[in-house]
Parts: sequence; C-alpha cells; structure tokens
Amino acid sequence: MSGDPAVPAPGDLAARQAALVAALVAGGPLPPGFAPAPVDAARRALLRKRAGDVARHWPLLAAGLGPAWPATFAGWAAGRPTNGSLRDGWDLARELRGRGELPPLGAEELATREAASRYDGTRAPRRRRLPALARAGGAVAVQLAGRVRLLRPARR
Amino acid sequence: MTAPADPGAGPAGVGIGWRPEIAGFVAGLPGLRFVEVVAEAVAPHGPPPAGLAELVERGVTVVPHGVRLSLGGAEPVDAARVAHLARVADLVRAPLVSEHIAFVRAGGLEAGHLLPLPRSREAVAAVVANVRRARAELPVPLALEPIAALFDWPDDELDEADFLTEILDATDATLLLDVANVHANARNRGADPLDLLDRLPLERVSYVHVAGGAEQGGFYHDTHTDPVPPEVFDLIRELCARHRPPALLLERDGHWPPASTLRAELDAIAAVSGYPVVT
Repeated sequence: MSGDPAVPAPGDLAARQAALVAALVAGGPLPPGFAPAPVDAARRALLRKRAGDVARHWPLLAAGLGPAWPATFAGWAAGRPTNGSLRDGWDLARELRGRGELPPLGAEELATREAASRYDGTRAPRRRRLPALARAGGAVAVQLAGRVRLLRPARR
Repeated sequence: MTAPADPGAGPAGVGIGWRPEIAGFVAGLPGLRFVEVVAEAVAPHGPPPAGLAELVERGVTVVPHGVRLSLGGAEPVDAARVAHLARVADLVRAPLVSEHIAFVRAGGLEAGHLLPLPRSREAVAAVVANVRRARAELPVPLALEPIAALFDWPDDELDEADFLTEILDATDATLLLDVANVHANARNRGADPLDLLDRLPLERVSYVHVAGGAEQGGFYHDTHTDPVPPEVFDLIRELCARHRPPALLLERDGHWPPASTLRAELDAIAAVSGYPVVT
C-alpha cells in the first residue's frame, strides 16, 4: 500500500478532505483524479442548498429578489466559503446595497437587522444594548430597549 | 439533564420528517407514531419546538437526525456537537438517534452539506473511530445513513455494500437506509440499485428514508423538494419483498406541496410497504 506512488499515503485523509472542500466552496483546484463534471454538479448543488438555508434566515431579502434569488445568491457565494447563513445573507445584502441592487423588502430587512445588532463584517453580530437607528434603501428602523420598529418603508 | 425515564418505542410504521413549516399538518395526522427532527434545529436545553413537544406527550416516537456531526471527518468528532445530540435525545425521549456516513467540513471550511467519503479502509477506520467516540457519550443507539453522492473519489478500494458492511460490522450502529439515495447513486453511477439491496444487511435496518428528487443537468438530485419518483416506490417494494423494515419515513424539506399531496405520498408509502395508513 505504501510502495505505490499512485496510492496516497495512509493518514492523509484529512488533507485530501480539506482539498476537496476547498475545491467545492473556496474556488480551490480540483484534486487529482476526480471527474470534473460530477464534482462541478456537486459544487452547484451545494450553492443551491446554501441559497435555501440563507433564504430561511433572510426571507424578505430572498422574497424581494423573487425568481432572481438563486442566481443572485450563487453569483455572490461561488468561491466564497460560508460564514453561516445569518452572516452570508447580511454580507450579500450589504453588497447589493452598495451596488444599488437591494430590493425594498431586503432593504427593510437589512435596516431592521442593523438596528437590532452590531455587525462588523468579520465576527458574529452582537445585540445592541443602546438605542439605535439604521437606514437602508430609504428604509429606517429604530431599536429601543431591544424592540425594533420599521419607522419608514424603503423606496419603491 | 432530563432523564429519559421511559424512552419511547423504536420507529414503527409510516412517519414523516417534522419541520416547523408543516408542524400543523403533522399534528393532524391521526395514525402517526413516528417522526424525525433535525437535531441541530432543536435548542439543547429545551423546551422542544412548539408542536414537537405535543407529539412527545402523545407518545409519538421522535428520532433526532443529525446533519452536522461529520462522522466521516478525518478529525475526531466534535465533543460539543455530540453532547448537543445527546441532550436533544433526552429532551424528546428518543429511543434512537441517527447521523450520516459523510463529512461536512475539513481544513476549517464548512461544505454546507453532506459529502461522500472515499470507500477506503482508511475512511472506514475514521468513521468507526468517530462512531465509537459518539456512542460513548450518547444515551441511546445510533443509526447510520449512507448518503446520495454526485461524485466518487478516484481511489475507492471497496464497493458501497462492502464499505457499509465493514462500518456496521465494526460498530454497534444500525442502518438508516435511504431508498432515494440508493436510487440516486445507482442512477448517477449507472449501477443496479437491486444489487445493493441484495448485499446489505437488511436485518440491521432501523428505519428507511423516502424522499423526492429531480433530474437536472444529467444527474439525479436528491432534493427533498420534489415529488417521490416511481423508481423510489419500486425500491420500497423490492426492499419489503426482501426484508420489510420496521418503519419508513417521508422527508420533505421545502417547496411545500398542498397537504393533500403530502397525504397522498404518505398513503402511497403505506400501501407499498403494507403498513397502516397514518392520514
């Protein structure tokens, strides 16, 4: 088993699993020997699964994009490993806001989330303890003593 | 920790995967004796989600189904994840928990879903070691589910039947056989699904998963969001002709159909397997 160079050395399962996951979710190269088409089908299936998971955490963002949701999410998420569904949706909503492509429902969801929690883009969001006002796409949300209200809807 | 003074009976008859979106539908199934709940979706210190607690009180068997343990990972299974699964088992008085023969993360990256293992002795050893680590901390037995894989590793030493049998023989785990996965793998590999049924230790099956899927891009995808195809019902019939499992469970995860459609699928599973209708 150890003499054949074509057979990977025992004990390298961890490294081989890491290389495969990197190829599937982080834009890494296809590890040697794998058939490209089936692995690519798996990569795209993972993106669809992830889009569904993020839509459950960001239902208004997904609903606002409607039929464009799966492709919009996949376009953003391809090659970008997940940081969890909450942060994935948050990062995508902020990017869409930056591009001017955040739909009104998504803007209202983002403003509501940002009034409730502080999110620095790199660590898990944390509940705000002080009152806060947040805006996105014309939507204004306010948080007082942990209760969040949408003061003004987004521009439509 | 809540002591499971009286663990429920094992899975029996026709069941359905409990999801919050269909809690009302599930609660309204008069003959239901068995559900599954995604373990990671349950808060460890309770109470169980609204609707699920009533099923526990009604005496419905609830099996926590883990999807994030990564028992097939080369690294030792995360003790905190095992502890969570154990607490959920206690919380719903489960007689059994289940997980997959798969890995979901490696090298610090989350794949987001179940990935296949190489069918090698090294992978068998990794799974067996993790199953033993998990079993040492779990209050109830563990059933292992083979997954649907869209691709294979390049250097498989074992075929699927030998790979699964070696894992089962080296552990005290039972088999959670997903007939939709059997169909998906056979379809995508160009193999005969009946060969696998003929060679698996069917007397070790605790229960069976039944789910829908769809053809897309030349592959059959085990989506859990489409109707159960006729080929999967055929496999239930073939399985029951060889060795009828004690229970069969319908998994549906989204694109919720009308209640009548779900009822019809549950009734069809009952008809094919010969178990009482639950609707």
